[in-house]
Amino acid sequence: MATVREAPVLEVVDLSLRYQTRQGEVQAVEGVSFELAQGQSLGLVGESGCGKTSVATSLMRLLPENAYLAGGQVKLGGTDLLPLSDDEIRGYRWRRIAMVFQAAMNSLDPVHRVGQQVIEAIEAHRMETTLADARERVARLFRMVGLDPQLMDRYPHEFSGGMRQRAVIAMALSCDPDLIIADEPTTALDVIVQDRILRELKVVQQELRMGMIYISHDIGVVAEVTDRIGVMYAGRLVELGDTADVFRSPMHPYTAALMSSFPSVHGERLPLVGLAGEPPNLIDPPAGCPFHPRCPYADDICRTEFPDRSFRGDNWAACWHPLDASPLSEDRQNQDF
Amino acid sequence: MTRYLAKRAGQMALTLFLIVTLTFFLVQAQPGDYATFYALNPDLPAEVRAQLKESFGLDKPLWQQYLVHMKNTFTGNFGVSFGHFPRPVMEVLAERLPRTAVLFLTATAVSFYIGFFLGKAIAWRRGGVLEYAATISGATLFTAFTPAFGLMMIWVFAFKLGWLPVGKFLDPLIWRGAEVSANHVFSYMLVTGAAFIVFAFLVLFFFRRSGRIGPAPLVAPIIGAAALAIPVAWGLSDIGFLALDILRHMILPIVTLTLISFAGTMLLTRNSMLETMREDYVMAARAKGLPEKVVRDRHAARNALLPVVTSLVYSLIFAIDGSVIIEGVFSWPGMGMTLLDAVRSEDLPLVMGSMVFIGLFSLLAHVIVDVLYVYLDPRIRYQ
Repeated sequence: MATVREAPVLEVVDLSLRYQTRQGEVQAVEGVSFELAQGQSLGLVGESGCGKTSVATSLMRLLPENAYLAGGQVKLGGTDLLPLSDDEIRGYRWRRIAMVFQAAMNSLDPVHRVGQQVIEAIEAHRMETTLADARERVARLFRMVGLDPQLMDRYPHEFSGGMRQRAVIAMALSCDPDLIIADEPTTALDVIVQDRILRELKVVQQELRMGMIYISHDIGVVAEVTDRIGVMYAGRLVELGDTADVFRSPMHPYTAALMSSFPSVHGERLPLVGLAGEPPNLIDPPAGCPFHPRCPYADDICRTEFPDRSFRGDNWAACWHPLDASPLSEDRQNQDF
Repeated sequence: MTRYLAKRAGQMALTLFLIVTLTFFLVQAQPGDYATFYALNPDLPAEVRAQLKESFGLDKPLWQQYLVHMKNTFTGNFGVSFGHFPRPVMEVLAERLPRTAVLFLTATAVSFYIGFFLGKAIAWRRGGVLEYAATISGATLFTAFTPAFGLMMIWVFAFKLGWLPVGKFLDPLIWRGAEVSANHVFSYMLVTGAAFIVFAFLVLFFFRRSGRIGPAPLVAPIIGAAALAIPVAWGLSDIGFLALDILRHMILPIVTLTLISFAGTMLLTRNSMLETMREDYVMAARAKGLPEKVVRDRHAARNALLPVVTSLVYSLIFAIDGSVIIEGVFSWPGMGMTLLDAVRSEDLPLVMGSMVFIGLFSLLAHVIVDVLYVYLDPRIRYQ
């Protein structure tokens, strides 16, 4: 799996993001670091509120007013994006990093024609100079995502959910970005359409040699489309490794718990194991490992000190007591990745 | 769309029919009618009274009078005004209606534009000085007692500062030697204004389809040149100074109307903007790397406009209602003044004619806003 590594397209170092709320400061993202090579895809998984989307929006610096970056670097092709001015970052958005939003259904403006909304991005980044060329580019993108180019002069409400999803992907590809962030792009769709679009997204991503960050709470979907997987808990990245390895033998107890709470389509019917307790309050996170209140293996050190990384090859987990390399269950080993 | 418009025209005809009927019976129900006012004058000999009754048709039963009235109204015969005798009601209205329409449509357009502009600005940058200044002053003006505020404006700008005329449509001293009538000049002004608007739309329409990417570069210079050419052409003509006099008389009422009404649009736009700014497509627009101004205007404000336009119907109808007060304060000889004078002098044909035309104007305002809505929101298609 882990073959020769190319120079990373994206390098996130020690990213920290805080939200100021009336109740106090929320540590939404804390010390997250990862790299992404060209053409590689990374999945970010975790429960709701674990900071997945906050990571994504920090990469594009699309933060709400009450958020601020407490530290870290986001390097894209060597340039740190975080200190850039608003005008400078605008040149990076979509041109270098594009995004397929969580509610992709609603990210099309209802009063403008779908094609026009793609063209305005092309126009903003001067990808084409004439309207005819811009329309030709949109037509090419539409064909790439399996949409009839004639639909570009229609309005979003004339599209079905799946068509809108495809249009949003076409829009994300319009300025040949180096990196595409897909934030639960298919949650509102039925599973059949979801699966088809996922496969197409994967094909396009590999064809265009883009980096991709795929964010989802659905660990099965992430397994299907990504090379590497990062597991987030309470604003921290707790495990990062090759998707197949993480699935076969998770190192972090949280990853294992997350996986056993999802049903498998392929194997026998195993009882689903839920994870007791709630994620911690991020205004006042627990000392030590944030997972310790819910962790069956927690002991004194877990309660006082944040764990160092334990490595297994290129994969790592932030855990004092990483699980053995033994497979989780026969069933999951038989899954084809 | 054609079918929809035809249907709407049918509905309008029906509503107009009801308005005319209601006006007729309302006027009949008043204590003072034709008979008491003219026919029962004790100075008149009995035979003249009978003759008058007969010529007005007052000797016929009410339902017959009603039928005759309907027939006359829908054939465009509103009778002869008592107060402006012997001018027909239609002639009086044809003179007064455009004056009201120009004054109030301009004021509505200006206050809508200012309200929308301020509303989107204060929503975009919340908590700024502009937000407090605009909200406080706008709300104060919005709730001010209209006649008192109008008189205050006259006192400050016409009486104390002497910048603008006190009221009325024109200054007789300037018009003393004029060889043309005020109506003549005013209708030329109307034609010029209408031609300019049509020209601007044509330029916009034509250059939209020029096949270029981005904003069309020639639109602003061409429209700007036309906007400059118009005053120059009027200035060179021998009626330019007369038109200027009418314009000077329009400024104070328009400014007053704008000041008292812009806050409604502003606050509505602000609230609507705060909704649309949270929408995902606004976030997507920003993610696309569009300049903030484009995100604000093309996406957030464009969608926020939809509910605000709905309120435009009410503003237009309010404008006509309010014309009675504003025209009274500024002695502007428009529909409001005409209606008020006609009621006071029991000029019943003119009262009925004015009411019918005010009703017609409200109906037209509704249709125009409905059609505008189709253009603004592609999701709406009337069947």
